[in-house]
Amino acid sequence: MVSPAIALAFIPLLLTLLIRYRYYFVLFYRAILVRIWKDCVTGLSREERAYQYVLTTATPGDPDSILDAFDVWCNKVEFISNIGPKKGKILDRMLMEQGPLTVLELGAHCGYSTVRIARALPLGARLYSVEMDQRNAAIAEKIVRLAGFDDDTVELIVNPSDEVIPRLRSDYGLDRLDFVFMDHWKKSYCPDLQMLEGSGLLGKGSMIVADNVLFPGAPKFLRHIRKSGLYEWKIHRATLEYSKGIRDGMAELVYQGIK
Amino acid sequence: MFILTLPLNKHSVHVFTTGVEEEVSTLQEESERGGHRGKRRDSDRERKRRRKGRGKVASKDSGEGEEELQRRLEKRERARRKRAKKEQEVQGRERNEEEQAEMTSGKRANTRKNIKNDKTRKMEEGEGEGEAGERNTKRKKKHGSAKNDGKEEDGGEHTVKEKVQEVKKKKHEKVVEASSEQETSEEANEAAAEEDTQEEEVRPESLSPEELEKLKEAVDERKKLIQSLRGKPWPMKKKLVTLRESQEFVEKYEGALGKGKGRKLYAYKVMMTKKWMKFQRDFENFKTACIPWEMKIKEIESHFGSSVASYFIFLRWMYGINLILFGLTFGLVMVPEALMGRPYGSIPRKTVPRAEETSAMDFAVLWDCGGYAQYSVLFYGFYNNQRAVGWLKFRMPLSYFLVGVGTVAYSYMVVIRTMARNANESGVGDDNSFNFSWKMFTSWDYLIGNPETADNKFASITTSFKEAILEEQESRKDDNIHLTRFLRVLANFLVLCCLAGSGYLIYFVVRRSQKFALDGLENHTWWERNEVNMVMSLLGMFCPMLFDVISALENYHPRVALQWQLGRIFALFLGNLYTFIIALMDEINLKEFVRLIISDTMTTYIMLLIGDFLRAVLVRFLNYCWCWDLEAGFPSYSEFDVSGNVLGLIFNQGMIWMGAFYAPCLPALNVLRLHVSMYLQCWAVMCCNVPQERVFKASGSNNFYMAMLLVILFLSTLPAIYTIVTIPPSFDCGPFSGKKRMFDVIQETLESDFPAWFSKVFSYASNPGLVLPFILLMVLAIYYLQSTSKSYKEANVELKKKLHAQNEENKKKNKRAALKAQMDLEEARTAQGAAQQQETDGEENRGRSQRLYHGKNGHNPPPPIGDQERQPPATRAPVPRPYHHGNHRTPGYLPGFSGQSEPRM
Repeated sequence: MVSPAIALAFIPLLLTLLIRYRYYFVLFYRAILVRIWKDCVTGLSREERAYQYVLTTATPGDPDSILDAFDVWCNKVEFISNIGPKKGKILDRMLMEQGPLTVLELGAHCGYSTVRIARALPLGARLYSVEMDQRNAAIAEKIVRLAGFDDDTVELIVNPSDEVIPRLRSDYGLDRLDFVFMDHWKKSYCPDLQMLEGSGLLGKGSMIVADNVLFPGAPKFLRHIRKSGLYEWKIHRATLEYSKGIRDGMAELVYQGIK
Repeated sequence: MFILTLPLNKHSVHVFTTGVEEEVSTLQEESERGGHRGKRRDSDRERKRRRKGRGKVASKDSGEGEEELQRRLEKRERARRKRAKKEQEVQGRERNEEEQAEMTSGKRANTRKNIKNDKTRKMEEGEGEGEAGERNTKRKKKHGSAKNDGKEEDGGEHTVKEKVQEVKKKKHEKVVEASSEQETSEEANEAAAEEDTQEEEVRPESLSPEELEKLKEAVDERKKLIQSLRGKPWPMKKKLVTLRESQEFVEKYEGALGKGKGRKLYAYKVMMTKKWMKFQRDFENFKTACIPWEMKIKEIESHFGSSVASYFIFLRWMYGINLILFGLTFGLVMVPEALMGRPYGSIPRKTVPRAEETSAMDFAVLWDCGGYAQYSVLFYGFYNNQRAVGWLKFRMPLSYFLVGVGTVAYSYMVVIRTMARNANESGVGDDNSFNFSWKMFTSWDYLIGNPETADNKFASITTSFKEAILEEQESRKDDNIHLTRFLRVLANFLVLCCLAGSGYLIYFVVRRSQKFALDGLENHTWWERNEVNMVMSLLGMFCPMLFDVISALENYHPRVALQWQLGRIFALFLGNLYTFIIALMDEINLKEFVRLIISDTMTTYIMLLIGDFLRAVLVRFLNYCWCWDLEAGFPSYSEFDVSGNVLGLIFNQGMIWMGAFYAPCLPALNVLRLHVSMYLQCWAVMCCNVPQERVFKASGSNNFYMAMLLVILFLSTLPAIYTIVTIPPSFDCGPFSGKKRMFDVIQETLESDFPAWFSKVFSYASNPGLVLPFILLMVLAIYYLQSTSKSYKEANVELKKKLHAQNEENKKKNKRAALKAQMDLEEARTAQGAAQQQETDGEENRGRSQRLYHGKNGHNPPPPIGDQERQPPATRAPVPRPYHHGNHRTPGYLPGFSGQSEPRM
């Protein structure tokens, strides 16, 4: 039997781990434990709960108020991995600078980033938003319409991204993408990017922005952009959305083409 | 043409004095022709460059000497006279170029005058170009014809080789930038050198003594040049070219010096010197290759920066010291005892008791240093008090005592010497002022050779800049000072709690283990028996982590934070060690010490394997099937913990020092441990660690480690010295049994082994009346030295301040000068504008503008009111000095002269 004194000696280790990784524990609690608990209690999915909250508090037709409502809910109530207000500002700035006319969004989730992008687009621009999950897509649709964006501005495509990308040219008649925002499965970042490269939709100057490249992280994606030499890229370092201590980054790529 | 010929004449005079008449005649011919010939723009640029990079290649005198010498060499070789002439012609042409450059500059001066004293270089150049452009076509034609002429002149004697040579010379001409005289002298040299390479060697026998002397001087000059080349303010390219040429020259002529026998000897000497130098270089390389683990450490350094490498260097240094300690104890204590002392089983203290005999060879017992291990040369108790052992009459107890004292003394000496050396290297640097400049210019670690580490370093520098800026902002704000203070106090309180808790835990465990020992160890489990070691090692490992986390509260600068961290870990280790000793104080158990060290080593290795290796393996291979990025995200690979490892090493060494007197096996054990650590940690660091996020430079922290080592050395030798001096040795074990005090062994030796007078002298010398003054003298000397060094340091600081003040002063001066120049420039511009207007008015205005110009300089009464109105700044500014000067250099050139007037002249 291990003597109690030896067990006591492990207390500093335990404390250290608790303190050092406190943000991760908090995240674990908020994103998983609370979610499971609420799912059982309410019988609704997390996104539906968020939608209910937004519907009750936000002003219809006002994207800002919808985004604010989302932020409040994600900060105070539960955790949804939207892009968040801080990284959202960076995204807004990039959109303002770029002024893209054709935007592709991979991973609409429940519409937060869709609204965010649509809000910053110039007149006459069009946003194609891809979402794989049916239920999430329905909620995203509702949110987008609630924010006052019609079909001409935002088109929601309910399909996995790896099926959508090859058909963008044929089915949607696209020639070139000015701006791509990636926030879907981190594992799909790299194959989707390669698919985009292969499709020829990226032209010189096209911008690709990928969220969460450090946490949860997309190492293959980063390795690919480092090696391929097709991009001018940098990583905007920030913290994870709705959390202070977890570091995360947003990759900004500008397609240069083959030199 | 008056202006054009003036500098030319001057130049040709110079040539006349140094050159040969016949050559000069051709030269003048050439130069006159050259006046019409081209390459004006090229030479112009060259000239400019030359002006910038003008340096002293050789003194003019020696240059002339060389030239003369070379000329004579030429004269000797009549057969090659024609070629020599051609050489001179080439030279002459080059000189011509020089002259042309002069002329062009003169013309430029003209131009300058034409555009009414425009001071901006750019504008000036532009004008020059413009003027050049006017004649562009003409020049081009002439350029071509010039080449043709050159060929004709050489009478078709040109071979391809010669052409190549010429081209080479031209190239060289462009690269070597020197003033015209020096250049000519050098060219002469070059000419000689090149000629010799093409034809046969200069026959030294055929040279007169004075020529030889000259040659020798030239060679010496070259040698001097090679030596001082490094400090010359030249561009690298030029340095390289000069170096190569000088070396070639020296190589060729060095052997040629001296006559007959002497010459051979000289050549031999030169050859031998070269061989010797090469040997020395090879030997240096060999020595580097012989330094143990040097290549490994260099590799680590390139991957992880110098801070991690500094740990390994420290480890190696420690290994060296332990090797010496081991040599002392092993060679002078253990081996003699094992070979010549009484064998095992002869007396009770050298025999395993009958009760333990059955289990004395069990691994568990041996591992705990019981059984046969306890009754061996490894421990103090095995030795007996026989005064001399074996046929060598080896004085065993004396040797034991002296080795014990010697190891401690040696350790002190080494540590203090190293500290002193490090202190010398560190110099006087204040970290607080010029924070950003320091960061800007000194943060890069040039030893990094790994892209990933370089990335990290880059990121860390960026972060440090951000932090520094933030810090600067915060220091201006300082509103939250109370909160910061509170947090710092809180952090220290928490750390104290932690220290107290760990101390109490150790005390508790040690007491409990004593109880177990009373009960008999056999009745308890392995865990209980090893409780003390386990708890101490675990606490020593985990508490620093906790401190690290707590220190995040304090919000210190990282460097300060590191020092706090080290201090806290230090306090922890020391507290633990002393608690351990105090709780054991009534019966110091030596076995416990050795076991502690062994278990400490084991824990370190096991933690290395689990914490680094296993983690790395898991992270690497689980990453394929995990929902987030394990490598970049949460567990990641571990970093190498420099401070923890260094402290572990230091404390381990402290324990060795503490126990080495009673357990001679400890240095051996430590050598083994360090040896294994070296390989294991080198492997682990390369295989499973990633470079630190904040790669910081190690310099500066080295002496901090050394100071800690010194403190530990002092604290760890304290108990040993205390026991040696105050506690009588036990009667039934150890080499000092039967004596009242351990140091009586010296007295005994003095009495029986040395002549009577020696012991008398010794007793006199150890008389307090003699010892005390001596100590006093020493203290005084130390005080004196310390105060002088302090005053030197102050003087240094004072000088630094002075330098700084002077720097500031210079800066201010420069700024003022720049401002003035700017003002003048503006003035000149307006003046020029006015003058151009005047120019359009006509030639008759010239006289008036001249007056105007003088008026600006304040020498003459103010110009007519009409002019003044046209140029308001002319009266505004005070007399500007550079402007003044610039105008007086070209007194005749007035704003009224225009570009069109030149052809008329």
